[in-house]
Amino acid sequence: MEEILALLAGTLYGLIIGIIPGAGATTGLIFIFSFITLFPDPYLGVIFCMAVVAASTTGDTYTGVLLGIPGANSAAATMVDGFPLALQGKATYAISAAVTTSTINGLLWGALVFFLLPYYTSLIMVFGVPELWAFTCLALVTVTFITNKWWVRGVIALAVGIFIGMIGVDPNTNADRFTGGIEYLGAGVQLLPLVAGLFAIPELLDGLKNRKNTATVSLSNGEQTKQGFKAVWQNKWLALRGGAIGAFIGILPGLGGAMADWMAYGQAVATTKNPDVPFGKGNIRGVIGPEGANNAQKATSMIPTVLFGIPGAPFAAILIGLFMYLDFELGTVDLANDPKFFDSMLYGFMLATVLVGALCLLTTPIIARIAQIPYKYYFPLLLGFITLACVQYTGGWEDYAILAVCSVIGVLAKNYKFSRPALLFGFILSDRIEQLTLQLSSLYSLDRLIDRPIFIGLILLICVVLIWGLTQRNKLEYA
Amino acid sequence: MKKFITSVLLALTLSTPAFADYTFVVPQKPGAGTSQWAEIIAKELEPFLGEKIVIKFIPGARDIPGFNKWHNTMRDNDKAVMVSHGGNGVSFLQEEVDYDYRQYDSVGLMNLNIIAGKASGADMNKPSFAAGSGMVPEAFAFTMLICGPDKSIEEYTACFKENVTWVKGMSGAERRLAFKRGELTGTRENPAAYKKHVAPNTKAEIWFHHGILQADGSHADDPNYPGYQFETLFEKRWGVAPSGDMYKAYKLVKSFRDGMQKALWVNKGNPNRQALVDALTAMSKDKSAMANIQKKVGKYDWLIGEAGNNHRDTLMTFVTTDALSSLVKFNRNALGLNSVEKIELALK
Repeated sequence: MEEILALLAGTLYGLIIGIIPGAGATTGLIFIFSFITLFPDPYLGVIFCMAVVAASTTGDTYTGVLLGIPGANSAAATMVDGFPLALQGKATYAISAAVTTSTINGLLWGALVFFLLPYYTSLIMVFGVPELWAFTCLALVTVTFITNKWWVRGVIALAVGIFIGMIGVDPNTNADRFTGGIEYLGAGVQLLPLVAGLFAIPELLDGLKNRKNTATVSLSNGEQTKQGFKAVWQNKWLALRGGAIGAFIGILPGLGGAMADWMAYGQAVATTKNPDVPFGKGNIRGVIGPEGANNAQKATSMIPTVLFGIPGAPFAAILIGLFMYLDFELGTVDLANDPKFFDSMLYGFMLATVLVGALCLLTTPIIARIAQIPYKYYFPLLLGFITLACVQYTGGWEDYAILAVCSVIGVLAKNYKFSRPALLFGFILSDRIEQLTLQLSSLYSLDRLIDRPIFIGLILLICVVLIWGLTQRNKLEYA
Repeated sequence: MKKFITSVLLALTLSTPAFADYTFVVPQKPGAGTSQWAEIIAKELEPFLGEKIVIKFIPGARDIPGFNKWHNTMRDNDKAVMVSHGGNGVSFLQEEVDYDYRQYDSVGLMNLNIIAGKASGADMNKPSFAAGSGMVPEAFAFTMLICGPDKSIEEYTACFKENVTWVKGMSGAERRLAFKRGELTGTRENPAAYKKHVAPNTKAEIWFHHGILQADGSHADDPNYPGYQFETLFEKRWGVAPSGDMYKAYKLVKSFRDGMQKALWVNKGNPNRQALVDALTAMSKDKSAMANIQKKVGKYDWLIGEAGNNHRDTLMTFVTTDALSSLVKFNRNALGLNSVEKIELALK
């Protein structure tokens, strides 16, 4: 009974957190620190946390589709085509397709991960510094040249993102860099205000300016729900490819979230010849592609997290801290011999995936009513939630200032069509690519690199993506 | 416009943090190592203190801004307790910081040891090791082990550059994985993390440890890893005990990092200090509380109240102009760190 309550509570909490613009799994997990010790049995805490991870990942589809605001940065890719569909009165169609894809991939990859967790160790071990470096480059090239029509502006946005990401500590000298003497910036610009400023605030301001609901959902929409199922069936290989991309990225330490979704979106664009509806204008394949990736990524990122205590994604780093509170030290031999722990993870993630999927499909009209609330009521609440999430860092005035600056950048980038995803990626991966380059140059010579087939394969893939991006006319207009 | 301003004010109200009885100021983000430690200690300490403890996280570059902020604006608050870690101690020696341990009273601190591991069978005369200011004591130790006695800082620098692959830009998680993959041949951890990340690895073994600082300023062998203290290994290999400028700098930096690995501070003369010390003393005698703490952070000795102050005073005796100068010289020229020479610390 207690397990069911923990599961239900985690699912509902995760769904609500997922729906809050700018929140998502990472923010939702941070809030749990305040009450994690209240669980009478630590295994209930594990169930709750895993349910939050699963439910928030599915739940964040709503704000992306209905409001054009990503619940988390990873939901931004779904938003590109989901939001235009909602504006065309097909919100339930988009949500149905998104939730179905998300649920199927969550169950598929969740099963593969949690049943077979002990067998994945060797995969992590063959992916060394060169492969991680090449993979990070691939992600940057993909987001800049494939997911954007204006690649020159994409490159500029990427450069701006990289510059913002380089603010903080120089890994070479350990000294402050580009901080302008502001101590607060010594730890760099935080992800949450940047994501909120780039994506959430511009869309909120748009809504306020237009003084209208952003999407309308019919209360009797059974037909659209069926069409969503049908669309997933018709694009089943796309959905599974998206899941495979998400799963692959999730398994690599530190990579995750947005990268998986945008790469999956990129493959959806790249593999669609002569689309009936242009991407960025409401193509359902633009919803199914990235939605395949997000739950799969969440599931597989638990592999390095649980096996080595090394977070597979930002949310997993928080999860390690939460589990520490519950007396579970990830990455230890003791834990590997605790079947109840693995059962709790399996139970929490898998059942919450099913539960939230069913809940979303059955109650979309109810949940979608949030879109019908007049903006004058809606705006301060959303702004409050976003601000609340963004000022968790220090609570000082600097948090507000960074959010304001990032919001200005977001509004300008949106209006002048500079790719916000490229900017975000540049930001997220700038320190990683810099650090991996330092590591690569210290540890490997050229003759050692050419002996690594996965590295060579990834370099070739980068070349292919680059050539394709430069020579093919990309149809995506989202910025 | 009015609605917009109302909205913004509401948003600001929603995001205003709450206040509580005692505040533990932690210079890190939630979930980081010292943050977790502070959460656990606060939870166990609350019943003995009889008041609620809230954690205030003030993260920033190299965990300096939080400590600076407490020093400059919060320490006069009688209920604001600073939670520091070994990295703060290293920064105190070689970076421009506002905080100064001599101006505070210790509530309690944990005197730890750091263990270096190596890949079994690797040539540790040519090690590859993750760089960073947190690795400075290890770099000093293995440079002396590799290069031998009686050398100048310049000679040690040259020897380091010739023999060590110093891999910059690695986070703790990346370092652990790179070591497991064999890309790094050396790594280091605190005893709890060593047990978790290195000891179970069948392809790894202990390399050396730094020893545990004693009240008389010496370092004793770690009973968990007997015979692997740096000084013991050095003497075994080179036939003499380590000495000279490099060794003085090493002793200084390792002591400030490991000797105050986790510490609770209040401003000098804080009227609540005794209540905190009493609560910590009672907690340290409670088997259940200590079992909970040790389960999560390892079994380490506490130095409570005046013992903590005495420990700090012992550390300060290592701060000499020679040691500081040698530390900064090797940091800059060998390790590529942008360290600052703080001779004034030795003159105060």
